[in-house]
Amino acid sequence: MSVTRSRPEDGGSPPLRGPSASERIYLFLASLRFTMLVLSFIAASCVVGTLIKQQAPPEEYLSRFSEGTYVFLRFLGLTDVFHAPWFLVLAGLFVVNLVFCTVERLSRLLKSATEIKVPNEKTLSSMGQTFFLPGKRVEDAAKAFKGYRQAGSDGRGLVLEKGRISQYGVYVIHTSIIVILAGCFIGLMTGFRGSMTLAKGETKDSFMRRGSSQAAAPLGFAIRCDDFKVSFYPNGEPKDYVSSIAIIDHGRRVEEAQVRVNHPLTYKGMSIYQASYGSDPIFRFAIDGKEVSLSQGSVFRADGLTLMVVRFEKSIHTFGPGVQVAYLEGSEQQTSWFLRDVPRLREKEIGGVHVRLQDVSDNFYTGLEIAHDPGVWVVWAGCAMILCGLFMNFFLFYRRIYLLQTSSGILVAGTSPKNKEAFREEFEKWRAIAHGIE
Amino acid sequence: MELNSRILGVVTLLYLLLFFIHLLYLATKKEGIYRAVWLLLYVTFGLHSVGLAVRWVESYRLGMGHAPLSNFYESLIFYAWCISLIVIIMKKRLYIPLITAFASLAALAFMGYASLSPSVDRHIQPLIPALQSNWLHVHVFTCFIAYAAFAVSFLCGVFHLFPWKGIIPPKTKLEELNYRSVMVGFPMLSVGILTGAVWANFAWGSYWTWDPKETWSLITWIIYALFLHARFARGWKGTRIAVLSVVGFASVIFTYFGVNFVLTGLHSYGAS
Repeated sequence: MSVTRSRPEDGGSPPLRGPSASERIYLFLASLRFTMLVLSFIAASCVVGTLIKQQAPPEEYLSRFSEGTYVFLRFLGLTDVFHAPWFLVLAGLFVVNLVFCTVERLSRLLKSATEIKVPNEKTLSSMGQTFFLPGKRVEDAAKAFKGYRQAGSDGRGLVLEKGRISQYGVYVIHTSIIVILAGCFIGLMTGFRGSMTLAKGETKDSFMRRGSSQAAAPLGFAIRCDDFKVSFYPNGEPKDYVSSIAIIDHGRRVEEAQVRVNHPLTYKGMSIYQASYGSDPIFRFAIDGKEVSLSQGSVFRADGLTLMVVRFEKSIHTFGPGVQVAYLEGSEQQTSWFLRDVPRLREKEIGGVHVRLQDVSDNFYTGLEIAHDPGVWVVWAGCAMILCGLFMNFFLFYRRIYLLQTSSGILVAGTSPKNKEAFREEFEKWRAIAHGIE
Repeated sequence: MELNSRILGVVTLLYLLLFFIHLLYLATKKEGIYRAVWLLLYVTFGLHSVGLAVRWVESYRLGMGHAPLSNFYESLIFYAWCISLIVIIMKKRLYIPLITAFASLAALAFMGYASLSPSVDRHIQPLIPALQSNWLHVHVFTCFIAYAAFAVSFLCGVFHLFPWKGIIPPKTKLEELNYRSVMVGFPMLSVGILTGAVWANFAWGSYWTWDPKETWSLITWIIYALFLHARFARGWKGTRIAVLSVVGFASVIFTYFGVNFVLTGLHSYGAS
């Protein structure tokens, strides 16, 4: 996107001796040909990374490919392209190329900015856009071009320019890409993600960390779910889900917040997101007249009675919800179904104790996503920079006006390397103004 | 039938009319007819905007209240709107009958597909929690303006590849127009990707997850970055640049449609 058309390979004056091997390698790594090569490879890897499902469990691949193909794909890293070592190497080569190319071209641009000369009359006339101002001094004529600043002069004429900053836009963009990639790298090396579920009233100080080793990891503080609410649209789709959570650090409630989708909470570098929700059935029994709430799998023990809910069906035939309970009769294990909506089948004597299924209700739990990414602020800084760079490069443009004292008056010529059409209009305006002054 | 559907139905017919008037112009070459084309384009665009606004208002009446940018149908009619917008913004450069003819044909195709295809749900649907964000507006707007600019670039590229002397505009003009539209589309796509990343960080807890849509937008971005570098730094011209703009647009189309229909991911809001 630089305005210079010359290539790094053939820039400058031809050297007397051939470049050394290291110079040749440097020039290749800084060349645009290398950029295009690396970018094409990255784009191709991205295509592969979307056509083959990524990071899926082995069974999923084996259901689609033969075992040999799967082993081969895994070996090449094609089942996890974006974390494969060769992909990181590609990204690294891209950064090297970007740094070298930027340094190479920026130094050339800075050098050319200090060496602006007024071309001769013939070159200027061939620029296409010229007009004559008869009999004035170039210094006086230059004042008419508002918004332009003098970039160079010699005895015969002046060079005026505008929008020089746009020349640097491309380097700002390149630098921001490096900054963004650095932020990504920091995140990749030091960040982690995971999830946790919390039922209403539950407190947890660890979460399930995602990655190669899925394991519970400490949060460094505890999260308590004070409340959780889901609201639905009339068509049954979820409208909003909100967790009222409290952060408990060293035994003290330090922060309370409502976490909802698009509105995370960050505490001590850990961001907490509303990700999902679910519900577990809760079974209320009256055992010997006493109310007991059991969830699936939890065991109830009292006075020689041991029972556990092993299975739950939302509806058994047309009889409504049913709960299968396992209990010990002496030392022998027995099971029995309790049907909530069938009076005869909702209660039973077990070992002389009266057990009655009172109700089945849903206990909602919230699914929170936990993320720690110290690189994210670097990424945001890069994004802010790239916005500036994009503006400089795509919304401003560089133009030059030359004023040359000739025998028949001042020759005015102009050029803009990147936006010829817009400049042509501007130049016509200057022509009209200049002729109006006379 | 809701009011917005009726208005958008009329808009679809107007795009059809617009295309026919183009044909009339190409047959008769009367300057007056082409001026009428532009007048009708303004009217169509105005009514199209009204249709979108009414749909927005009607969503409030249904108790949902969101911009019409939330499902596949809405994205199609918004894309058609963006194509008209780009043509109007670039009027000075795009005062070329062949280009405006095919731009209105493209708008007609998207409007027609949106309103006729049995697989497209045309109802105003509620906004799921992940989409309830102000980032939605700026993200979708910048992406679709970019897609529209790339569509213009694609037309220039395709015309460049066809040797129809006399019918197509001069090749230098097409080339200039081609990279002008990429110069609009590329920064817009960049902003679209960035706003998407910021939003994803709020909604999903990560600014980049290699979701197929994200990945394909990156592929598209790389192709147009290659286009700009080939054009400005290596001085590519002619057929090679034209081919690149066709490849770039193929990638745009895959990012927009292919990802929804062929691949699955987090980003499948546009699919239903």
